[in-house]
Amino acid sequence: MKVSLNWLKEFVDIDQTPAELAESLTMAGLEVEGLEHKAQNLNDLTVARILDIKLHPRADRLSICQLDVGKGEVSVVCGAKNMSKGDLVPLALPGTSLPDGMLIKESKIRDEISQGMLLAEDEMGLTDDHTGIMILPDNLRPGQPLSDAMDLEDWILDITLTPNRIDCASIVGIARDIGALTNKKISMPEIHIEESDTLIEDLASVTILDSQGCPRYTVGLVEGVKIGPSPFWMRYRLHVSGIRSINNVVDITNYVLMELGQPLHAFDYNLLADRQIVVKRAENGQIFTTLDEQPRDLDDQTLMICDGEGPVALAGIMGGLNSEITEKSGTVLIESAYFNPTMIRRSSKRLSLSTEASYRFERGIDIGGVDFALKRSLMLIKQLAGGNIARGIIDCYPEPWSTPKIILRANRANEILGTSIGIKQMADYLFSLTMAVKVVDQNRMEVSPPSFRVDITREADLVEEIARLFGYNNIPITLPAIRPTEEDISELVLRDRIKAILVGMGFSEIITYSFISPKSADILGAGVNSNLRSFVKLLNPLSKDQSVMRTSLIPGLLSTVRLNSLRGQNDLRIFEWGKTYIKEEEELPQEKQVLAALITGMVSTQKWYQEARDADLFDIKGMAENILGELGIDKAEYKRNSLKEGLDPNEYARISSSGSDIGAIGKVSKEVMEGYGLEKKAYVLEIYIEPLLPLVSRVKQFTPLAKFPSVRRDISIIVNRSIESAMLISIVKGIGKGLVESVDIFDIYQGKQIVPQEKALALGISYRSKERTLTDNEVNNIHEEIIEEIRRQTGGRLREGPKNGNPR
Amino acid sequence: MKDELLELKTRVLKKLESVAERSDLEKLRQSYLGRKGFLTLLLKRLEELPKEQRPAIGRLANQVKEELTEEFQSVSDSLTRKDAKEVSALDITLPGRRTPTGHLHPITQITEEICTIFVKLGFQVVQGPEVELDYYNFEALNMPKDHPARDMQDTFYISDNVVLRTHTSPMQIRIMENTSPPVSIVAPGKVYRPDSDISHTPMFHQVEGLLVDKGVSFGDLKGTLTTFAHQMFGPDTDLRFRPSFFPFTEPSAEVDIRCVVCQGKGCRVCSHTGWLEILGSGMVDPEVFKIVGYDVESISGFAFGMGVERIAMLKSGLDDIRLFFENDIRFLQQF
Ligand SMILES: [Zn+2]
Repeated sequence: MKVSLNWLKEFVDIDQTPAELAESLTMAGLEVEGLEHKAQNLNDLTVARILDIKLHPRADRLSICQLDVGKGEVSVVCGAKNMSKGDLVPLALPGTSLPDGMLIKESKIRDEISQGMLLAEDEMGLTDDHTGIMILPDNLRPGQPLSDAMDLEDWILDITLTPNRIDCASIVGIARDIGALTNKKISMPEIHIEESDTLIEDLASVTILDSQGCPRYTVGLVEGVKIGPSPFWMRYRLHVSGIRSINNVVDITNYVLMELGQPLHAFDYNLLADRQIVVKRAENGQIFTTLDEQPRDLDDQTLMICDGEGPVALAGIMGGLNSEITEKSGTVLIESAYFNPTMIRRSSKRLSLSTEASYRFERGIDIGGVDFALKRSLMLIKQLAGGNIARGIIDCYPEPWSTPKIILRANRANEILGTSIGIKQMADYLFSLTMAVKVVDQNRMEVSPPSFRVDITREADLVEEIARLFGYNNIPITLPAIRPTEEDISELVLRDRIKAILVGMGFSEIITYSFISPKSADILGAGVNSNLRSFVKLLNPLSKDQSVMRTSLIPGLLSTVRLNSLRGQNDLRIFEWGKTYIKEEEELPQEKQVLAALITGMVSTQKWYQEARDADLFDIKGMAENILGELGIDKAEYKRNSLKEGLDPNEYARISSSGSDIGAIGKVSKEVMEGYGLEKKAYVLEIYIEPLLPLVSRVKQFTPLAKFPSVRRDISIIVNRSIESAMLISIVKGIGKGLVESVDIFDIYQGKQIVPQEKALALGISYRSKERTLTDNEVNNIHEEIIEEIRRQTGGRLREGPKNGNPR
Repeated sequence: MKDELLELKTRVLKKLESVAERSDLEKLRQSYLGRKGFLTLLLKRLEELPKEQRPAIGRLANQVKEELTEEFQSVSDSLTRKDAKEVSALDITLPGRRTPTGHLHPITQITEEICTIFVKLGFQVVQGPEVELDYYNFEALNMPKDHPARDMQDTFYISDNVVLRTHTSPMQIRIMENTSPPVSIVAPGKVYRPDSDISHTPMFHQVEGLLVDKGVSFGDLKGTLTTFAHQMFGPDTDLRFRPSFFPFTEPSAEVDIRCVVCQGKGCRVCSHTGWLEILGSGMVDPEVFKIVGYDVESISGFAFGMGVERIAMLKSGLDDIRLFFENDIRFLQQF
């Protein structure tokens, strides 16, 4: 909210500099986000009197003004037509700059010398009026600096209000807080109303049919007004407050709104059927056209202001086109009311129509100040638009507001704040905020907040007010003794371990949006009943591409690959740790923690010490083994038992351990890569954290270090290509009876030297006993047994060569 | 004996001339000067000599030994120099064999930094759902439907009753519902609001904190958050607490630190105020305690929440929040 310092000063004395004031308001919870020096340079402009106007000899639309500038005369060429001989006008002499930065120079316009420029209000940054040159009041003298003469200089505070302080959405509200902070009294505008003899009750009536929606409704009436433009001072203040000037009567309602925080509405009295006001609910399906010429679809929750025939205003939000004030309006009826905040808010939301009025009504205005604001507006109307004020006002207020009584305990306040403020001091603070305070005993007081402080209903609210005035920065700093909460953090520990392993393997972590395009399931080739399609859908997404919560992390990885590849970065190792969101029967979806990693491009580039090599499936498998191995999950199995969406049906595996599905690895299928506009190969790893968690041992069991030497024997065997190495290893371990320490596959050969259906595998077996040194004989016997069994089970044969059976 | 000594000396000196390898030199030393070397054995025979000859021969023997020792040293030194010459043929400026290095996302790093500070103070890290019931995200936090405070946070809706959480504050309720006091938690995580420009992304990260116990005061809140700010931004960081409003705390406070860019003089980053808002906080509102069934009179507590991206941006000088979620590898590798 933009607040004029000059306007504030009409309500409270301010000794502080604008910067000091801004600082103290900010520290009291009214955050000043901007401070603008208004009309700062307008003293460079001069008041000038028009001595003569003649037409420009060579341009019809221009005239030449002869001006008295106090200490001499100048001649200025001007395009405007609104001024006359004798008028006082603002003049920028050569060498001065306008607020928009334009520098005025003496110039020749069509052969006529122009020694400056006459200015319209908008050119001086005062209002947005550009209807002509500004005509100044006649009591000024030519040659006076403009800003001083017109008292234009001002400071504008841009204050961000928190939703609870709606009482500060007005000049008087801010002034009250300044008063409390600086110990100054507030002076309210004095009301002098000259009423006519006509009773208002003889001219109009008010009926409230929904007293819950409208607890208070007041009207006043002014006959014979003259609708016209507002004076400059009012338009200037409205402009500063961000409100467009319409005409004097409407401007007054807005001026009082800004000044006192009470929304008002002016009706053209002669357009009100039966001269009556009825406050009631609309009917479902009823259409009503508001001032902005928009037809509005109403429902029976919408509160309406009606005349004898039908609606004339959307209560608390906007008036109707059918009763608008126009130049023809002769008599105006002014409404000042209090509407139910929830009802106004609901209607404003439903109609997507938010106004200065609805903003205040929905947060709760000062029900006690409704009549004062009405009277203030009547006074201003008579002052600026003339006419006769009807005698009295109509005030429908069936259940007047009753003062709440809140008990404040000083010791509780000090306990919450960590202070030792005396009860007397507390009472003074609250009193300065215009609260009624009655001290009950040494510890307790009974506090009644004024009707405009709708945010104060409980002891806690009073504690905050005390803290605010005491000053947050004066509250002593202490440290609490913290007793920790007991929570299971094993998942977090696991997460940090896995991330550390991945970073160690050269993977960089990415974070992508949790919402993705529903198309991603199609691209991944998800089946009709696939979990990948169990989307949690956003009702109000920012775009279609971000309209569902992700069911897989792979789209995020691939989009990241795409972004990087468009920038020429093709060799990537990336991972994301995050959730997938699977829609369930229950209200909330299943949120599952998943780790997904991807490797693409080259794993090693050509270097002086190495050859270039592209990533393949066994790179990602190695990563998986590294991670699971580090977590102590040695018995992970890699099986191709059921296809995995998005992965190449020939190059993938599901990872399981102890019967739980804990992840998958594979090559991203060609179709999926194409779906993301990618050409290179990419390999992914997924690990599902929830099933993994129970398999991770918290304690690493110590195994005694081997005391006896190991013996290595190699086997090179030719088998059918369909034989998997895991089978050979399990035979070795099975026959080895605990004497096989490890089996290593150190070579695989498929090629010219053997037939295409076969492959040669070289196994290195390390034998070791925990109890004794193995003899050659012992090892040879087991080794022979193993070879025999492999032959028997695979139909393989030993490959010719010196390696077989020989110790290395 | 004398001749034997001189002959041995000549022989050794001759052999030393042709030594090229350090290992050969060592062998030679062993075979002549070692414990079982020729010279040692020769010296042992001194005792066999007549008494009157012993001093002269002894002197000669020692002299030979010294000379030989010196000569061995000199050959050894020249071998070292020769080695050094060969070493200088090594191009030490060749790049080493590097393994690729990975990086944690800057948001992860800052989140960890924040959480670690609070964990050391005694807080425990907890997590919760991101697709959240309206009840936890708003209602239980003292924001019933149609409450104007809901305007402070635009919301992604899944249904009338389900939203993407707009803040990490629902964790306050979830924890208090299941735990009796004392409670001391920090809850990091993703949050969502429909907003997208240079300083807003529809997804971002927050860290929530909550401490509830007997006798927790606003002074404790100030102390805890001051400690945090000093550890996060440096021990000399100036900070201020100013009144604000959150529906679930009363009194509420925003915490500002002195602008890290301009040191308070005023700049674009701090909108010329000299201060940067880093977190929101306050004493837990009694309404919230009532909702979770805590005894309002016997306990009190404070809560706070901060935006991780904002802190990461302040610390790194980054000015476009969207870069965090673009995941350009060159960006990630800077952190
Ligand atoms: Zn700054």
